[in-house]
Amino acid sequence: MVEPSNSPCLVVNGLVTGYDGRNVLTGVSLSLDPGELVTVVGPNGHGKSTLLRAISGLLPVRKGSISLNGRVISGQPAHRVASSGVIHVPQGDLLFAGMSVIENLLMGAYLDSDQAAVARRLDEVFTLLPKLAERQTQIAASLSGGERRMVGIGRGLMMNGSVMLIDEPSLGLAPIIIEQIYEVIARLKASGRTILLVEENPARVADIADRIHLLDNGAFVWSGEPAVLLQRDELLATYLGG
Amino acid sequence: MEIIGPVLVSGITTGALYALATLGLSLVWGSLGMLNMAHGTLLTLGGYAAFTAASQLGLPVPLAVLAAAAVGGVIGALIFVLVAYPLSRRSPETFETTIMIATFGVALTLENAVLRLYGGQPLGQPLSVGGAINLGGFALPWQNLIIIVSAIALMGATALFLTRTKTGRAIRATAQNPDAAKLMGVPVARVYLQVLILSGMLAGVCGVLVSSITQLSPSLGADPMLKAFIMCVVAGLGNLPGAIITSFGLAIVEALVQFLAGARWGFPALLAIVILVLIRRPGGLFGRVEVRRL
Repeated sequence: MVEPSNSPCLVVNGLVTGYDGRNVLTGVSLSLDPGELVTVVGPNGHGKSTLLRAISGLLPVRKGSISLNGRVISGQPAHRVASSGVIHVPQGDLLFAGMSVIENLLMGAYLDSDQAAVARRLDEVFTLLPKLAERQTQIAASLSGGERRMVGIGRGLMMNGSVMLIDEPSLGLAPIIIEQIYEVIARLKASGRTILLVEENPARVADIADRIHLLDNGAFVWSGEPAVLLQRDELLATYLGG
Repeated sequence: MEIIGPVLVSGITTGALYALATLGLSLVWGSLGMLNMAHGTLLTLGGYAAFTAASQLGLPVPLAVLAAAAVGGVIGALIFVLVAYPLSRRSPETFETTIMIATFGVALTLENAVLRLYGGQPLGQPLSVGGAINLGGFALPWQNLIIIVSAIALMGATALFLTRTKTGRAIRATAQNPDAAKLMGVPVARVYLQVLILSGMLAGVCGVLVSSITQLSPSLGADPMLKAFIMCVVAGLGNLPGAIITSFGLAIVEALVQFLAGARWGFPALLAIVILVLIRRPGGLFGRVEVRRL
């Protein structure tokens, strides 16, 4: 039987994970339909990055399951998860600091041996992020914070994946640069990409998110549309400090 | 020129050997955080492998050198598969310490195996060339020229491999950020295996070159290993060009001190420079200072 095209592509079911003896997530479930942008917001240190790290296989899943396009990916090592189509743009970029911009981008295409496809995607990345085309030969460590973020996103776009996880793209950037980064994310959504975005501040994602999950203390405490969340002053005050 | 020429030749020759030994050690140390205490033993095994291939099996020189590289590569691979990989899986937190002790054990075992197989008496490496080129004031021995050219060629080939090929790029990426490399789909364990094979092959050939101007003995690799360790520390981890420049620089200084003050002052002078450098620049000459929280 052919699956209907609007069946969810990423499904997380009852996810429990953490570090050492401590569980950070205590049973998180979510699903993403193709083309959707779903956001997880919440205070720092409550498991937002942990959720993305568990999906991409950097952290072992203790209970629950994760599947992508109908195939279970939980329990697989990170490089396998990447090859099945999960793109993870990690917090703090995790660039290859001693390599040039172009080398960082080409690492994104590591799994792709089709040179023509790689060249095409590189063109697309340079169209979306023209700054990177100018900085191709510059060493990543010498870039500004905003440029580094763009390399992180560009490197993710060089991967041939079906879901993109983006971890706090605004972290540590000046407001004007944050705006530029969010313009890029809005264009990614407009181009039909499926995105799971983690952010601390719900106001930042209200315009582009289809749904928001509020994560507190390892579990979702509220889920719904962004416009609704922004009117629930008591939620904002309790979980996000007003 | 008559005096300084031979000193420089000797300094550059040992520099080339140090640099080649350092390159292999630094590759593994920089990318896996693994100080391979058996690196010197890989040099020894390479030297003996070439000896066996050339003088006992009667193979031509290029094949004997290939045999040395192959033995180094295979033993390097085995060290990863049997020792480093299980240790890193079981307790990643203590890996840096346990792997030093474990590879030290590997070194002792292999060195004793060589002792049992070949005996402790020094053997002559058949792959050496006599004669010299007369360069006006002084004679440049062919053997030294061969060592310098081969070492530089191997370093150049390694540099091209690391910068121009996809596998080489994945090795550098993994060394710089293993988590990010995994997210790009790089099978990090396989990359580590490739690094140990590459390092072992370089060590094997380096052992042939070292034994060609000294002699084969079970402790052949000990001195180059010690010097390579010093070069890595002085240059700063993870900077291969820096490690190579340091190797040549310090070897030339060592040769000059040996000539001017006597052979026994060479190594103390080297150590004095190491101490001074580390006081001034704890991260090494070319390294970034790593702040370690205790």
